[in-house]
Amino acid sequence: MDKNHFLQSFAEQFDDTDPSTITLETHFKEMEEWSSMVALMIIAMVDEQYSKKITGADLREANTIEQLFERVSSK
Amino acid sequence: MTEYSPFSLHGKHILVAGASSGIGWAICKSIVAAGGKVTGVARRADLLQKMVQELGEGNAFFIEADLATDNGIEKVAAMMPDVNGLVYAAGVSKMLPLKFIKRESLEELMNINYFSMVLLLAQMVRQKKIKRNAHSSIVLISSVAQQIGTKSSILYTGSKGAMSSASKAIANELSSQKIRVNTIEPGMVQTAMASEMEDVISAEAVEKDKAKYPLGYGMPDDVANTAVFLLSDASKWMTGRSLTLDGGRYVLLD
Repeated sequence: MDKNHFLQSFAEQFDDTDPSTITLETHFKEMEEWSSMVALMIIAMVDEQYSKKITGADLREANTIEQLFERVSSK
Repeated sequence: MTEYSPFSLHGKHILVAGASSGIGWAICKSIVAAGGKVTGVARRADLLQKMVQELGEGNAFFIEADLATDNGIEKVAAMMPDVNGLVYAAGVSKMLPLKFIKRESLEELMNINYFSMVLLLAQMVRQKKIKRNAHSSIVLISSVAQQIGTKSSILYTGSKGAMSSASKAIANELSSQKIRVNTIEPGMVQTAMASEMEDVISAEAVEKDKAKYPLGYGMPDDVANTAVFLLSDASKWMTGRSLTLDGGRYVLLD
């Protein structure tokens, strides 16, 4: 799994946020556009692109995008 | 001498599709408790055997079949004796935002939730396995989802909407044989399918949703007892209709 590809795929789920402002260190749940709908899109994106299942708990326990990447990578 | 009760299923044999878990399993139990006999259909023979053990041989029977396939449907229609009723409780759920939907996932849900329901009824009616002019009743387990529009529920909502709409046309077609067709549209019921959804979203989101139900989330028995009513002669003037069971969620708004 490529970290930067993950970041790009993550950023693509947002419609109103400038992707250049989203980094691996971003605390994603503090983003203005973060919502339950975006959470469902992240879960679906991980399933579609990496064939891995993540849950609401994974999103809850990770703070930064990098931490989420690590959780996805370890599955 | 016991008085006749129109709520009893005594003397009735009911086919339950999707019998091995959740609402379907609870319906099998309620049918036997109401005096009826049940044949449960599902893919998992071990779970069906457990159902027969618990409900008693002579009261409960099973057919192991995959209703997602034409072979499975043909097997059920061929093996079943004539029945007084049928409950379609087989179904799956999957949350997927619109932009992630592909033909494969759409077909997967429509296949078991809708196509197989229509195809099973088609075979049962074609082979005259549902008794005519005998107060027979078909009950389809739809969902309140088809009345509302929860985010990411497009696959499930569409399949249940198709089921609920088609039920009226089926009711109309079968009315000349006095076979009734009604749907139950439950809100959130505590089943394994609901627990899977809790995994996908989060326990907090589920608690927040639960708080919106004046009577809390439903139990499988709540749906099963309503199914018994619809299968019984107590509802013999009701067809082409739907009963919403949602603990007041969508009508009793603060």
